Amino acid sequence: MPELSYREAVRDALATAMRHDDDVFVMGEDIAEMGGSMGVTHGMLDEFGPERVRNTPISEMALAGAAIGAALQGMRPVAEIMYEDFMTLAAEQVVNQAAKHRYMSGGQLTVPVVFRTQGGAGWSPGAQHAQQLEAWFVHIPGLKIVFASTPEDVRGLLWSSIYDDNPVVFFEHRTLYGIKGSVPEKIEPIPIGKARVQREGEDVTVIATGRLVHESLQAAEEAEKEGVSVEVVDPRTLQPLDEETLVGSVKKTNRAVVAHEAVTRMGFGAEVASVLQYQAFDWLDAPIERVGAKFAPLPFAPVMEQFVVPHADDVLQAIYRTVNKKV
Amino acid sequence: MATEVKLPRLGQGMESGTIVKWLKSEGESVQKGEPLYELDTDKVTQEVEAEASGVLLKISIAEGEVPVGRTIAFIGEQGEAVAESPDGDSAGAAPAPAETRREPEQQRVAAPPVSTTTTNGRIKASPLARRIARERGIDLSSLTGTGPDGRIVAHDLERPAPTAAPVAASAATGEVESRALSSVRKTIARRLTQAWTVPAFQLTVDVDMTRANELVQGQRELNPDVRITVTDVLTKLSAQALMRHRDLNVQFSDDALLVFPNADVGIAVAAPQGLVVPVVHGADRLTIAQIAEARADVVGRAREAKLRTEDLEGGTFTISNLGMYEIDQFIAVLNPPQASILAVGSTRDQVVPRDGELHVLPMMTMTLTCDHRAVDGATGAEFLKTLKAFLEDPGLAL
Repeated sequence: MPELSYREAVRDALATAMRHDDDVFVMGEDIAEMGGSMGVTHGMLDEFGPERVRNTPISEMALAGAAIGAALQGMRPVAEIMYEDFMTLAAEQVVNQAAKHRYMSGGQLTVPVVFRTQGGAGWSPGAQHAQQLEAWFVHIPGLKIVFASTPEDVRGLLWSSIYDDNPVVFFEHRTLYGIKGSVPEKIEPIPIGKARVQREGEDVTVIATGRLVHESLQAAEEAEKEGVSVEVVDPRTLQPLDEETLVGSVKKTNRAVVAHEAVTRMGFGAEVASVLQYQAFDWLDAPIERVGAKFAPLPFAPVMEQFVVPHADDVLQAIYRTVNKKV
Repeated sequence: MATEVKLPRLGQGMESGTIVKWLKSEGESVQKGEPLYELDTDKVTQEVEAEASGVLLKISIAEGEVPVGRTIAFIGEQGEAVAESPDGDSAGAAPAPAETRREPEQQRVAAPPVSTTTTNGRIKASPLARRIARERGIDLSSLTGTGPDGRIVAHDLERPAPTAAPVAASAATGEVESRALSSVRKTIARRLTQAWTVPAFQLTVDVDMTRANELVQGQRELNPDVRITVTDVLTKLSAQALMRHRDLNVQFSDDALLVFPNADVGIAVAAPQGLVVPVVHGADRLTIAQIAEARADVVGRAREAKLRTEDLEGGTFTISNLGMYEIDQFIAVLNPPQASILAVGSTRDQVVPRDGELHVLPMMTMTLTCDHRAVDGATGAEFLKTLKAFLEDPGLAL
């Protein structure tokens, strides 16, 4: 199996879909000559030309609206929003237009658009360029929300998102672009709404998204040395949510930790914890632990940023609390 | 509109049941699936779960024998009036509500304060620990928690509970401790008293277990994944012997002698709640390894109080083995309505004269008790002779 970086995997899904299908095109700020601020669309202008790799003015609301219009006309646009912090500027179009048209038209219209965006701390971009805002969009009926953590998943899920007839907000994590992983020779679509068990274990289930999947796998290895067997599950799609897999895992281990980089308060993990306590109440042997960023704007200073966002050790401590282990 | 709670039919042929006690009192809130009352049938005593959520408005029949289908209580909303026809069976008294529509309303019914079992406040226990305790009938107040802040967690229920000995010791000398009868104890008492009214006789025989022990060893080597015991071999060989002596595989009823086509062998188990006899069905058609698996399954569930009615139904013969307690021999009381029961003692080395010489052989004494209304002495003796021959030379059972 070939090995691709997370960045290359995203590009491979976009380019393969564009070769395969004239309806698919990409648009965004500086995505053409510059290849996007994260280099994801690098080289695509040469292959597909300016009609299909479109630079837009610096207005997220305008570019989101244009993508929605194209989708309503039968295209399958993929709009890149440079930072998910800037999704706030596109929010009117995403929340009030993209999410609503299929419902308000009684199913006569579909909006097969993908909003690709990225965010996350770990490289000191400061309070306005590192947030994790996925919970804002999971809250909106009519949107599908994807957050992949590995090259294989990001490629297979982006493919499925492009070919989904509903608007998808597709979150990527800044610090994951460089990670490598093996992927199938040909793109295999990964169904939206299916979690992946990244590691099997017996004592505690950690449900993690994005960068925290990798931090949790690291914590699981540490815990294993202390005799605590940890299962790590990545929901991969936040909406729809694969409740069956999450609940099934917790019914097996009887303990749960929910981990993401976004702030804990009102985070996606709060919803997961609620699902678990309701569906697995009689199987829980400890309170559900939540791991997330401290409730503060992200600092520029690297040591302070490090302090605010969660890492493997925070997950490990939460795992130990569920089994009442003092280390 | 309140939902009627009717006495369910829990097994084939069940006509009535005896309500032992209610686990909820009137006015208390009930969730669908929660144990509502204890019901005694001639097979088993079990907790019956509520089939609707709401408030237990009225208990029509507090205890005693009730025919199947009779309304015994009502579940509805707080303050709701209950319509009841004079015979206590309100079927048809009012149109039945569409039950599926009721669910959201019922969930909104606020649970009234429920008194806890402790004298000073709530017991701290995880939901999982509470569920395990509920299923196994363990009193959480008797446990010490090892979780954070002394919370009782599932692990604490796996440890043996502190024995009652210190309590007994602190009681004044000579004072009699009165323990309420559990429903299982009551059932044992009722059924064994009934057995005592049956005219019975006993036959005893000694068996050389050399070959049977070899068979157990051989079977263990052949089936390393299954824990095969002497009881499994006894079950298999008894089933084969029963098939050759169909006159023993019978039950006495008032107007007929019922002769059964299969050997469904019950195995007496000392469960924490008392004696129960789960059944290995069709033992004559199972291999020894299959019997061992089936036995491990039902005996395991008997110990966890998770037996189903069908596990206890339909036995045609019972084996009670006290060999592991080093009992030389004993006489078992019949397990009605079955016509016979085999009491098995321990296997111990004995000096046995053979062909004018003394041999030291592993000997086992077994005693067959028979219902004399159904079985005559000679029938029992012939069966026992065959079983002894099978145990001493298992190849004969093929």
